[in-house]
Amino acid sequence: MKARSVRYLIGEGLKNIWLNRMMSIASVGVLMASMLLMGLAIAFSENVDRIMSTIESQNVVMIYLDDDLSDEQVQSVYEQIRSLDNINPDETIYISSSQALEGVLETMGPEYEQYFDAYFGEGNTILPETVRASMIDLEQYDQTISAIENVDGVDSYDSSRDLAVILTTVRSAINTAGIWMIVLLSLISLVIIANTVRITMFNRKLEISIMKAVGATNGFIRFPFMVEGITLGIIASLLTVGVEYLLYKVAIRALEPIISILSFNPVPFSNFMWIILLIFLALGIIAGLIASVITISKYLRREGSEFSAL
Amino acid sequence: MSSGASQPLIEFKGVYKTYDNGTKALSDVNLRIDKGEFVFIVGPSGSGKSTFIKLIIHEEKLDAGEILVNGFKMSSLRKKEVPLLRRTMGIVFQDFRLIPTMNVFENVAFPMHVVGASKREIRKRVSYALNLVGLGRKARSLPRELSGGEQQRVGLARALVNKPSMIIADEPTGNVDPNMSYEIVDLLTEINRRGTTILMVTHEHQLVRDFDRRVVMIETGHIVADNAGGVF
Repeated sequence: MKARSVRYLIGEGLKNIWLNRMMSIASVGVLMASMLLMGLAIAFSENVDRIMSTIESQNVVMIYLDDDLSDEQVQSVYEQIRSLDNINPDETIYISSSQALEGVLETMGPEYEQYFDAYFGEGNTILPETVRASMIDLEQYDQTISAIENVDGVDSYDSSRDLAVILTTVRSAINTAGIWMIVLLSLISLVIIANTVRITMFNRKLEISIMKAVGATNGFIRFPFMVEGITLGIIASLLTVGVEYLLYKVAIRALEPIISILSFNPVPFSNFMWIILLIFLALGIIAGLIASVITISKYLRREGSEFSAL
Repeated sequence: MSSGASQPLIEFKGVYKTYDNGTKALSDVNLRIDKGEFVFIVGPSGSGKSTFIKLIIHEEKLDAGEILVNGFKMSSLRKKEVPLLRRTMGIVFQDFRLIPTMNVFENVAFPMHVVGASKREIRKRVSYALNLVGLGRKARSLPRELSGGEQQRVGLARALVNKPSMIIADEPTGNVDPNMSYEIVDLLTEINRRGTTILMVTHEHQLVRDFDRRVVMIETGHIVADNAGGVF
């Protein structure tokens, strides 16, 4: 096909989008909905990954000791924990119950001290003696935990690993649901785009019959419809990235309190914007192309002849 | 105008065509149309005229026999050769088939885009064709602003813009008033005088009698008469 024919056909395809603007808007809308869901799943996944790596980088286990231990026993438990395999002794510290209270008051505010004093009696605290241990290798988590549990004087433990497990479960649930939703919405998008192309095609039945009569190849007839499908896909991709950027910004602002508790920095949108854009463009172009090619080819095979077409 | 020395443009050799529903459209049709001829194809409704045209433009495939059009062998024509065959002919439709959203110039230019003509060529050829049919001043008008006769003249300009070796006109006067019918055939005669072969399907007997041309008459799928000089 000559370059000037390609230019002419691209112009025709773009003109079709405008002439069938209501259907074009509907197609772009449905495509955007499916892309948006996919994009939000990606954004969520990216942030969960970051939270997990923050948690994993800490590798911290809080070990609470029995209440009735003497200072010597506490010291002994502390030393035993430090000497365990997979425990980094340099990053393992002892936190006395009074230090633990100080920590709590630091978070809650010093004005709460009077309530603690009134409740537990001045100078007393029910917070346990604690050892904050750091693991070297998380792969050996289970063995290390059972070694800790076997140390005499250890009452219980608390690990951020539990949070990681919950987050992983939520992430995989969202990913699975997301994939099915994307498959479903992609099919719907395909049908909607195919319908837009079909309407354009029936509007242009006359043109198609004339094209065939004057010797246009099927490729020539198909071209503007492909341009139409692909352009709708590209418009939907670009708009979705814009909308997702705004939604992400709003979501981060709304979730600010939770984010500060988890003490992690949300992944900036620019970090995954290009991946999302590429995925959207690929999805949009493929959906547009498949829908238009299937529709027009079906039509050209069955009808589209010169005298009986109209 | 047919002569032994002339080159054949269309040749039907023992052609048969039966539709899937059992209708026998053409039976043992033998015919030769030479370059530069003007031929009227006449016959009652359902006689096989449309099938005759459809076989020439390869909208339908023949069952038996052979058809040669412009050097293309229709019995073995490949799918990708069909556009090339059709580029050698211009088609005029009874219902004009102008694109309502395009003005006269754009309608006539349309087939030139299909063959990838340059803007300069398009301007030159479209102006020539519009002037030939007497619509040079209506290039910017939309089809709905024209009379039936004018619309058919636009259809004629569109058919000849790509310099086809023949024009196939399927009842071109069917939707225009009688006076305009004569103008349309006058135009076709002028186009024929400039070297283009004309094949015109019609059922207007008076028109055929008034123009002194070859007449091929088809009835129930057979050629029942093939006379020169408007006789049938």
